[in-house]
Amino acid sequence: MRDQSDDWDDSKPAKKKCVAVFLILLLMIGGVLIALAIRFGADTPVEYVDIEEHFKYGSTGGERASGFPYWIWKALPRICGDKLPGSKQFPGQELKAVGFLYEGDKDLPVGMSKRRHMGLDRVFLNCAVCHTSTVRDRPDGTPKIITGMPANTVDLMAFEKFLFTCAKDAKFSPEHIIPEIHRLSGEHLKALDRYLVYPFAIYMMRDRLLMLEDRFSSMLQRPDWGPGRVDTFGSAKALFNFPMDKAPSSELIGVTDFPSIWLQGPRKDQQMQLHWDGNNTKVEERNRSAAFGTGATPATLDRERIKRIEDWLLTREPPAYPYPINQPLSFKGASVYKQYCAGCHGANGRSFEGPDVGKVTPIQQINTDPHRLDSYTRDLAINQNLLYAETGDPGERFSHFRKTYGYANMPLDGLWLRAPYLHNGSVPTLRDLLEPSSRRPKTFYRGYDVYDQAKVGFVSTRDQENGRSFFKFETTVAGNSNIGHEGKRYGTDLPQDDKAALVEYLKTF
Amino acid sequence: MARVKKTSGRRAVTVILLILVLLAGVGAYVGWYKFFREEPQPEWVTATPEMRFKYGSIGAEHDAGVPYWIWYVLPRMFPEKLPGPGGYASLGILWEEGQELPIGFTKKVIGFPRVANTCASCHTASYRSKPGETPTFVLTGPNHTLNLEAFFRFMIDCAKDPRFNADTMMREINLAADLSLLDRMIYRFILIPITKKRLLERERQFAWIYRKDFPEWGRGRDDAMNLTKYFMIKFPMDNSIGPTDMPSFWNLKKYKPEKGHLMNFAGDSHDARSVIIDSALGVLGAEPHNKEEFLEHIKWFEDYLGSYPAPTYPFSIDRRKAAAGKVLFDKACARCHASDRTGRRVPAEEVGTDRGRLETWSKKAAIEANRVVADMGIERRGLVEDNPSGYIAAFLDGIWLRAPYLHNGSIPTLRDLLEPVEKRPKLFYRGYDVYNQVKVGFITSPDEAGLVGMPCEVVQGKRVCEIERIGTLYDVSQRGSGNLGHVYGTDLLSNEKDALVEYLKTL
Repeated sequence: MRDQSDDWDDSKPAKKKCVAVFLILLLMIGGVLIALAIRFGADTPVEYVDIEEHFKYGSTGGERASGFPYWIWKALPRICGDKLPGSKQFPGQELKAVGFLYEGDKDLPVGMSKRRHMGLDRVFLNCAVCHTSTVRDRPDGTPKIITGMPANTVDLMAFEKFLFTCAKDAKFSPEHIIPEIHRLSGEHLKALDRYLVYPFAIYMMRDRLLMLEDRFSSMLQRPDWGPGRVDTFGSAKALFNFPMDKAPSSELIGVTDFPSIWLQGPRKDQQMQLHWDGNNTKVEERNRSAAFGTGATPATLDRERIKRIEDWLLTREPPAYPYPINQPLSFKGASVYKQYCAGCHGANGRSFEGPDVGKVTPIQQINTDPHRLDSYTRDLAINQNLLYAETGDPGERFSHFRKTYGYANMPLDGLWLRAPYLHNGSVPTLRDLLEPSSRRPKTFYRGYDVYDQAKVGFVSTRDQENGRSFFKFETTVAGNSNIGHEGKRYGTDLPQDDKAALVEYLKTF
Repeated sequence: MARVKKTSGRRAVTVILLILVLLAGVGAYVGWYKFFREEPQPEWVTATPEMRFKYGSIGAEHDAGVPYWIWYVLPRMFPEKLPGPGGYASLGILWEEGQELPIGFTKKVIGFPRVANTCASCHTASYRSKPGETPTFVLTGPNHTLNLEAFFRFMIDCAKDPRFNADTMMREINLAADLSLLDRMIYRFILIPITKKRLLERERQFAWIYRKDFPEWGRGRDDAMNLTKYFMIKFPMDNSIGPTDMPSFWNLKKYKPEKGHLMNFAGDSHDARSVIIDSALGVLGAEPHNKEEFLEHIKWFEDYLGSYPAPTYPFSIDRRKAAAGKVLFDKACARCHASDRTGRRVPAEEVGTDRGRLETWSKKAAIEANRVVADMGIERRGLVEDNPSGYIAAFLDGIWLRAPYLHNGSIPTLRDLLEPVEKRPKLFYRGYDVYNQVKVGFITSPDEAGLVGMPCEVVQGKRVCEIERIGTLYDVSQRGSGNLGHVYGTDLLSNEKDALVEYLKTL
C-alpha cells in the first residue's frame, strides 16, 4: 500500500495531479450536461384528467415546433396591440378581440395548450379553438361554453394576420419583447432566460412565423373569412408551398364554416365521406389532417393525447335544444322531414340511416357555391398522399383523400348549434334556408352568440355589442354565395306551415 | 513492479485493440446498414402484375435513386421552378389517388429509402371524358401529359440553386419527417451534398436540353435517340434534334422479327427485348448493379408487355358508319397498316414526314451502343446497324389513345391527319387529357372549350382556359416538329373521312 502511494506521491506527482484535474473536469462537464438536460430536456404537457378539460386545454403536440414560449405569447398583444384592434379593453385576455373564448380569468383562451419543451413553457392551439363556442339565451344572459360545436365567434384569419404582421414588425425583437416579459412576469426573469433563452426563442419564433407567413400570405389576401370560418385546404396548399400565383382564380377561395365534431362514431362506422366536399372517408386521417392546424406534424404530433380526443369524439353527443319545443308542431314537421330530408340527412338527429347520408351530391344538383369544391383539386389530393409517410407506421400515411365533384350530405346532429348554414355559412338560420335563395338574407352579421329561437340560428341582425363589432357577411363576395340547396326537393317551395313545422322538428336533432 | 506494469500495459494495449476492432466492426455494420442494406419492396408492390408495372423497382435506385426525403421536399422548396400548383403532378406525372408515389416512381430501401423510376412513368396514358372527372389511367399507353424535359431540368435546376444546401433542406425535411439524430447527420453531411453533386454532374450530359435554339419537347415527347447518344454511348453533342411521341407498348408480341418487323419509330431496333433492355438501361443510368436480377426484370416486361392488350375505345361508336369506314380503310390505309408492310420501314422520301428524328441516329452510334451493352455482358439482338432511312408503318392497335399522331406527335387528331398539310393545325396544345370524341384524339385548343365544358376565366381582360395552363404549345414550324407528309386519305370526301375515323376507333 505504502509502496504504491509512494510511487504515486514521489515518482509521478504531476501525473497524479493531471488525473485529478481531469476527473474534476469530467465531473463538472457531466454535471453541466445533466443540469442542461434537466433544464432543457423536458417534454411534458400540462395534463388534464377530465376529458373535456383535455379537449379545451390539452396538447396535440403542436407546441413542440410551433409553440410560443408562454411569456412571448403574453407579451405579443402588448407589443403589437395596434395589430389587434379592440384588444386593449381585455387586458390579459386580448384575443377576445378576435373572438377567442376565455373561461373566468384564465390566462389562456379555450383552444390553447401548454407544454414544457426545450426549457420553456410553450403554448399553441388545439382542436377546441375551432370547435368550441358559446351560446346565450338573451343579450344579458351568461354565455355557456359548448365543446364540439363550430367556433362561431373565432376569427382565425384575423388571428393569423395578427401573428404574421407582428412577426414582420421591427418590434418583434428582444429589445422590445424582453422588457415587456420582465414586467409581465413580475420582474422574475432569471439571467439565463433574460440573456440567452428568450433572445434565442424570439429569434426562433420570428423565423418560424416568417416562414409560415411566406406560405400563407397569398391565402390571407382572399376575402375576409370572418368569424367561424376557415380555408382548410388553402392552408394545406400553403404547407405544400404550391405556387398559387400560377393557379386559376377558381382554385383560390375555399372558405367554409367550422364544422361540429361530435358523434364521429357513426360517421366512421358508415364510412361517410367527410369534409364538406366528402374528400376523405377515414376519420383518423381527417383528424390528423385537421391537426396540422394546431401545429401537429408527423414529427410533433402527440399521438397518445390526440387519441384521447379522437376516442371521446366518437360518442360525444351534442347538447339537446334547451328551449321550449312545440311538440305537436314538431310531430307534424317529422313527416315533412321524412319526405324531403331523411334520404340525404338521416332518419333523425341520432340515427344517420338513409340511402344518401354521408355521400356526395353532384354540384350540378346541389348547386351551392362552387368555390370550396373547386379549390380542392386532384393535384392536392395526390400530394396529400405524402403526408405522414415514413413515420414507421405505414398505416399512418394519408391514402384516403379523393377529388369529388359535389358536396357531402351531412347528418344533422346538434343542428341547432351549427348555424349559419350551408358549407360556407351563407344562410344565417334554418328558417332562412327553407326560403329560395332569392329570399334569403343578402347581408347579415356573424360572430354573435345570442340565440334566435324563432328562426333557429344565431341572431344575425346586430352589428355590434358593447363596442365589439360583428362581421358583416355579404353573399355577393366570391365564395359567399347563398344559392343552392333549393327548389321543390329541398323544401323551399313548401307552404309556410310546413316550413315552420320542419324547423320545429329540426330543433330536436 | 516493472514486470507487473509491463504485463498490465500489454493487456491494456490488447484491450484497446479489441475495443478498436469491435468499434470498427460496429462501424462497418452501421455503414453497411445505413448505406447498402437492400430491403425488398413491400409485398403489395409485387402482388399483382399491374402494381409491379407501376411501382416495381427495376434496380434503378442504385445509381439513379434520389434519397426519399430530398425527393419529397424538392417541390416544396422550389415551387417557382414548377409550372403550377401540384408538385410533381404539375409536370404531367401521373399519380393515383391513395398512392404514395406517382405511377412509374419506385421506392426501395438501399441503406436508406430511395426514389427512382420504372418504365411506367413514360408509358402510362391518361384520359378523361370531360374536365370534371377523375382520369382513367391505361397502363402501357403513351404518357402524353408528361413533360419529361421539364422534369429533367427541374431536378438539375434545384441542384444548381444555392438553397439546395443542408441547412435549408433539413429545415424543410424536419417539417415533414421525424428522423433520428443519426439519419439527420447522414442527410446533412452525406446524402444532401452527394445528391447535389450527382445532379450537377447530369447537367453536362443534359446540356442539349438547355439549348435555346432547340424547341421544347413539350408534353408527351422525348428526344429518345439523343438520350441514348449522350448518356449510353457518351457521344459529343451534335446539332440534331428529333423529339418523338412517347410510344405505347402494349401487345408487343405483334412485332415478329422473323417477318422483318423492326421497332422504334425509325425501325432502329431489332426486337422488343432489345428495346426494353435499352430503355431500361436509360432508366438505370448505369450498368445494372445485378445483371441476373436486371435480366429477370427484362424477361418479366417482355412477357407482360407481349400480351398486354391494347385498350378498346371507351366511348360510343357508330357501328354503321364504322363499317363504311372499314371499306375506305381497306382501300386507303391497309396497304401499309394492315399488310406485310406493317411493322417495316417505309422510306422517308415516300412517307414524307419530318426528318429530324432520322438525323439523331446513325450506324456509328448503333455500333457503339451495341458494343457498350455487349461489354456489360448483356446479349441481345440490339440496334440496327445502319443509318435510319425511313419510318415504320405503324400497327394501329389502340390508335385512339396514341394521339397526337405521326412519330413526332405533330398532328393532334386522326381527323386532322386526314387533312392536307396546309389544313392541319399549326399551333396547338399538347398534354391536356380530355378526349375529343369527334376528331379522335385529345382536346388541343381553347377553341374547343365549349365542346367539353373546359373551365375558362378572364385574367386581366384576357380569356384563359384550363388547357393553356396545363398544356404546352406545339408549333409545327419548329425543328423536328413538322407536320408534313403522310398525306394518305387526304383527298377523301369529308363524310368519308368521318367514316374512316369512326372505323379507326374500333382498332
